Amino acid sequence: MALPQPLRTSVTPLELELIASEQLVEIVPLISMEKTAFISGAYGPLRPPAKCRIPLWMATNLKLKKKCHIVPPEWLSVAEFLQERLNRETSQPEFSKLPFRFAEIAKVILDVASDDIQNADKIRSLLKDLREARQAKSRDGLQKLDHSELSLPNLCSMEINEIRPFFVQAMGVLTQLVKEPVADARPDGDY
Amino acid sequence: MDNDYFSIDAILAENQKIQCTFKVDIPDMGHLGGGSDRDIKALAKVPVPIWLAYIILYSDWADFTIPAPFGPRVRNALKAEPRSVKLSGLVGAGGLWYGFGKMIMDILGDEQAEQMSDVLTKTFRGRLLEVIDQAQHFAALGPSGGGGPSGDTAQSFREGLDGTERELFALAQESTKRSKRWHEGNDKARR
Repeated sequence: MALPQPLRTSVTPLELELIASEQLVEIVPLISMEKTAFISGAYGPLRPPAKCRIPLWMATNLKLKKKCHIVPPEWLSVAEFLQERLNRETSQPEFSKLPFRFAEIAKVILDVASDDIQNADKIRSLLKDLREARQAKSRDGLQKLDHSELSLPNLCSMEINEIRPFFVQAMGVLTQLVKEPVADARPDGDY
Repeated sequence: MDNDYFSIDAILAENQKIQCTFKVDIPDMGHLGGGSDRDIKALAKVPVPIWLAYIILYSDWADFTIPAPFGPRVRNALKAEPRSVKLSGLVGAGGLWYGFGKMIMDILGDEQAEQMSDVLTKTFRGRLLEVIDQAQHFAALGPSGGGGPSGDTAQSFREGLDGTERELFALAQESTKRSKRWHEGNDKARR
């Protein structure tokens, strides 16, 4: 089956979300469960009210059935952390260091467990600002596009996925257009 | 746009004609000029497509001039403001200005090819940012996107896009649309 052109070099955001959902998060379970084996590993046992680390996909599943409370990771739970990152983002020209899949994890947790997060709205708006600031920086990176290499450190998974198709294509075009200083054995067109 | 035999971009780009001045007489080939002559006389100017011109030049039967889309007037306009030139006007709608330029660059000798490649890369870089900006803006508007942001300038820029730039535009727009849709979607029910 032929993929549409934009999907040939990148993945869909939903697929990235799936991959990100494999990461472990802490929960406060409301039910008991024995140590159970899943394909990716054995998790549990769940003994309320002790905290336990399980994959995000399992946590969202339980949460939707109202069987647990999700404890958001430190970088998401404290608004000050994100605020500080935002300040750093706006003041420096480089990208600041953020967890690689922060966009996906943040979205999943905000969607499913917004009641478990304090200041959910503030966090949402901070994340949005962060995203826009980084997008503006990647636009500047576009100016420096070269045919040989481009390095944008600290870019996160969602952002990479978004810019990859046209960055790669543009670099390809530039490679074609830049004349390599190798002399070809062709005659000059006299003009 | 590569030298790949099967590359569709290369085939389309080679379809453009360039003016060749024949150095020798060629009997029975007058129909190439589109006129009613039976032979081609030496020093006759005949417009010939590049895929044919390459062999003719290689066998040293003719010389050629740099065609109009890359002439001094266009070069000056590009040097002044790359984004204001309508590339599709130069090679026909759906044409490939960059591909055409690359073909010519391959035929030219080293020094002229350097200049050509310089013009091509600077133009591409100058226009790339504008292409991406517009693409991201249009991703937001959706399929029924009406008049552009600043109306006329943006629209005429889009009409003047060359084939390669159109591809980049489509890629950028697609990926931005996908990200936006994912970010704003909230499908709790799906989980």
